[in-house]
Amino acid sequence: MDELLDNYIRFLATLTPAYFVELFWFYFVFEFVRYFLLEFIVLNLAKIRAVFNKPHKEDARRRLFMENPLVSILIPGKNEGKHLFKLVNSLGEQTYKNIEIIVVCDGSDDDTPIIGRSLEKAGLIDMFIRNEVRGGKASAANTALRFAKGKYIIHLDADCSYDNDAMEKILIPFFEDERVGGVGGNVSVRNYKESLVTTLQGVEYFNTITTGRTVTSYLGIYRIISGAFGAFRADVIDQLKGWDIGPGLDGDITVKIRKKGYKIKFAQDANCLTSVPNTFRKLIKQRLRWDKSLVRFRMRKHKDVLMPTASFKMLDFFSAFENIMYNVVLNFKWYVYLLIMLSFYRPLFLNIFITNILLYTATNFVKFIVYSLYREKAHASMSYFLIYLPCMVFYFGIYLRVVRTVAYIQELFFKKSYQDPWNPRKTSVHAKHLGI
Amino acid sequence: MKHIAEHKDNAESIIEHAGFSFLYIRNLSPIPVEEVQYHSAVIIEVKNYDFVRLMVSSIRANLSPDIYLKPIFLLKKDTYDDAVMDELADGSIKGLDELDLVVPTVERISTRVQDLTFTNSISFEAQIITKLITLLYTKEQKTVDPFPYVYSNIGYYYPLLSVNFQRTEETVALDILKIAEEEGILRSDYYDRVYLCSSCSSNHLSYREVCPKCSSSNTTPDDIVHHFPCGYVGPMQDFKNEIDDKLDCPKCNKRLKHIGVDYDKPSVIHDCNNCHHKFQDYHVNAKCLSCLSDKSVETLKPTEIKSYRLTKKGELAAIKGFVTTTKDIDEVIGTIKYDTFKTMLKYEIERLKQTEGQSNICAINISNSSQVYSKLGSDLQRGLLKDLVSVIRSNIRSSDVIAFESSSTIVMSMNAIPNKIAKKIIGEMVSLLNDLIKTSFEDLDVLFDTKVVALDYAKTHEAHLKELITDFS
Repeated sequence: MDELLDNYIRFLATLTPAYFVELFWFYFVFEFVRYFLLEFIVLNLAKIRAVFNKPHKEDARRRLFMENPLVSILIPGKNEGKHLFKLVNSLGEQTYKNIEIIVVCDGSDDDTPIIGRSLEKAGLIDMFIRNEVRGGKASAANTALRFAKGKYIIHLDADCSYDNDAMEKILIPFFEDERVGGVGGNVSVRNYKESLVTTLQGVEYFNTITTGRTVTSYLGIYRIISGAFGAFRADVIDQLKGWDIGPGLDGDITVKIRKKGYKIKFAQDANCLTSVPNTFRKLIKQRLRWDKSLVRFRMRKHKDVLMPTASFKMLDFFSAFENIMYNVVLNFKWYVYLLIMLSFYRPLFLNIFITNILLYTATNFVKFIVYSLYREKAHASMSYFLIYLPCMVFYFGIYLRVVRTVAYIQELFFKKSYQDPWNPRKTSVHAKHLGI
Repeated sequence: MKHIAEHKDNAESIIEHAGFSFLYIRNLSPIPVEEVQYHSAVIIEVKNYDFVRLMVSSIRANLSPDIYLKPIFLLKKDTYDDAVMDELADGSIKGLDELDLVVPTVERISTRVQDLTFTNSISFEAQIITKLITLLYTKEQKTVDPFPYVYSNIGYYYPLLSVNFQRTEETVALDILKIAEEEGILRSDYYDRVYLCSSCSSNHLSYREVCPKCSSSNTTPDDIVHHFPCGYVGPMQDFKNEIDDKLDCPKCNKRLKHIGVDYDKPSVIHDCNNCHHKFQDYHVNAKCLSCLSDKSVETLKPTEIKSYRLTKKGELAAIKGFVTTTKDIDEVIGTIKYDTFKTMLKYEIERLKQTEGQSNICAINISNSSQVYSKLGSDLQRGLLKDLVSVIRSNIRSSDVIAFESSSTIVMSMNAIPNKIAKKIIGEMVSLLNDLIKTSFEDLDVLFDTKVVALDYAKTHEAHLKELITDFS
């Protein structure tokens, strides 16, 4: 151990700035610049804008309540009956009251139909539609959409819960800028104390959603409105005739709205809590599905946004490019970095590995503490997560990277997403045939 | 030997046969029902069913035993199926030449009628129960069965009982049967359950699937179609085009070709033509055809229909001709309910355990109550009981309570006085009561028995009461 430590200290002593960059270019060029420096600058700019924008935002809120438009809340899902009562109760607490709740049961084989019917009868939900045959998430959402009467549509997941001002907050951006076609809510982890994997996801959601989407929204390249909490202008979503077949339908519809020329905004103060997978095995299943959809939708279905066509839009291009670059390309580039280090710096590999871990961990600490200052509301104590932050480098840098790699390979070479049981086969075969 | 005498208007005939006088009521020739009491039996010609129902019902619904107990026979030449009328009648014949066949029945009923003592029960409920059990006795019938009956407002008809009520009041029959069961006169078995209108208690309901918002039954169903390739979902109407009868997807413009392959119909949606609400699950409403109220089936009153059997006590009550129910004595001012009396007695015994004082309970019983009540109408019976209670009340302390154990036995407490004094007070009370009877009720002999029981805290309140009234049961 002493020898290892001596060896490492000697290694650090040899590091000149040029040598440091030579060995840790991956961290500096991609991680530090993109995920720390850029985010830090933008968060500050966003904060400044928020201060100047405050009167405008308050005016938007006032106009929302003056107009008081009907808002349709769509809750599609399969076997979600057990969550419905709690969800409907939390919706009853909302500060924005002019809502209609439409629940669609997508071929559930549990007590969902009984629960849904009784809630409908009790007047707690406005419409309960039971589809006897499962059609998939998109079809269930489209069923609800077809009967929605609201001027705005909010899509929720039944197993989530919402701050009592969440609906109000997610609607305000529509009144701030009439070119906004969709708004994504802020999703945090409810069960972050359940296990190590849920705690790590708690940190991850804070980084990628609360912080990450604030940044992309500011830059105008925000690209995914979560299915768990997303709001849309009804006329916009009607033009699109609803959602296409998933998985990844929430990212898909966001791109489609952007293509129509509308803006997409992120409402950091519209808070939603969700339960995340509580084992590493379950998380792998979820992430394989999510990561495959990146390839399927960004690189195949919507590859046109990257092409210099007549409808080319720079922001859409950057939105897709950034996504593909940082998630797919750099993911594989990391392996290149690993190979270079193993091939050309083999005697130093252990020291490089340790330094990388220390660099990422230090960055994680700084980011987590500093960025917490930019968050408006917190459902979890920041200090709870601090002791888990050293694990993040392994969780995010290795575990999720491997999962992502597998997903990309599966989708790029085998189009595995079309075999995902998340969607019924009867719809997937058509999607595959049509290449969507 | 048969002799037929016809009245002038030819509407009715009197047939003398085998020593009995039969009143023969021809089809559509109504007679005053009071006429029935002068004959041994009635024969009704069956041609017009409504007329038969009217005549039979008016006889059985009459309050006079001379009329309602009269044997009724139906003269049926053709097949006539009305189980309720058969139950109300005592038999049927195909022609007047078959009169011999019913003579034994007339004889039997006449004999059994003579067993009966006719007295006036106090409450209306007790009077109707008396009527029912005397009819059962004369017909040698032990059961009161419900008949599914289209003319009944509640769907089931107890012929000998329900005949006393108009259609809209038929549920009273159920209340009366319940009282009779509580009094031990009838015993019940479950038969069926009916659901009655919460407004008018009618069973004549029309069940309809209605819009959950406006309760209109004017709705149109439409299939929901799911187009697999693009995920569009909507009612079939969305997929129809104006050119041909094919289906085209409004989202991707593709033609729908093969159900199960490129589209399916996962559910059905209903469109209300009145309020345009769209829904999947109807509400079920029951429209009452009697009062026209239209309410959810959940508001209907579930009501048990039971079949009843006459108990031995019921049979004896029929002969004795007098029925008492708690309804008779509930409303006499100055008394408390017997159950309350029992509770207060229980507390008094508990109190004595602590204080070792002396308290008593007393009873005054009208030993010839059947005879007394038979001479008095309902109102006078109530008046008598009120007067008795008033005299008793003025002779006991205000802290003591009075209750009716039955319509012939009055019980009271006499707390915190020695047994000897209590006996003395009771003796004086009886002489006051006798004076009251003499001055207020002429030619009425009322015999009073009394008993005083000193409370013993070692015994239960039930044991005390048993000891108190055992001689009067």
